[in-house]
Amino acid sequence: MAESDTEVEFKKETVSKVLSSFFREDKTKLSGDATLLMAEMLKVFVQEAAVRSLKQAESEDCDQVDIEHFEKILPQLLLDF
Amino acid sequence: MSLQRLKAAVHFTVGRMCHSLGEDHRRTFSRQVIAAIAETTFRQCDIFAKDLEAFARHAKRSTVSSEDVKLAARRSTALSIFIQNKIEELKNQEQRDLKKKNTGKRKSRDTEEDSRE
Repeated sequence: MAESDTEVEFKKETVSKVLSSFFREDKTKLSGDATLLMAEMLKVFVQEAAVRSLKQAESEDCDQVDIEHFEKILPQLLLDF
Repeated sequence: MSLQRLKAAVHFTVGRMCHSLGEDHRRTFSRQVIAAIAETTFRQCDIFAKDLEAFARHAKRSTVSSEDVKLAARRSTALSIFIQNKIEELKNQEQRDLKKKNTGKRKSRDTEEDSRE
């Protein structure tokens, strides 16, 4: 087994169901490729949210990453996506 | 699947990602911040989904394709490049799979490629 953990990812089924739940029309579907790509994109989104929050916590010399750190980076995060 | 279960599924994966990252950097993520990131991610899915649906409809399709995902990633150059690379990866994988299938087979077969529009 490798030293580092297997990378955490979103399950294809979860991504498909979540996105589909937000479609306005019943006929709208996701292709297999689109689902895979969106899983990647969501992974990046979460990683960015987490890493930026963590860096914010580090810059404030905090051991724990808290809501206030996330709140500070949230506006730019949303703009970047 | 109910909304609650979907949210829980997202929350679960987000939690694992945060824990993994926290371990690498020797810091912990509070439960509240993980919940907040999960909630925000879930809401972002709503935005992505609506965009994807609009792009597909604009192209007169009812199935969202990788082209639509490319558009959804347009705001950040780094993200665009990342998605473009993933699309190339998928295409190459598809080529490799097709080659395997066609080796030794004379008959032409119908291949379902939902990425082709």
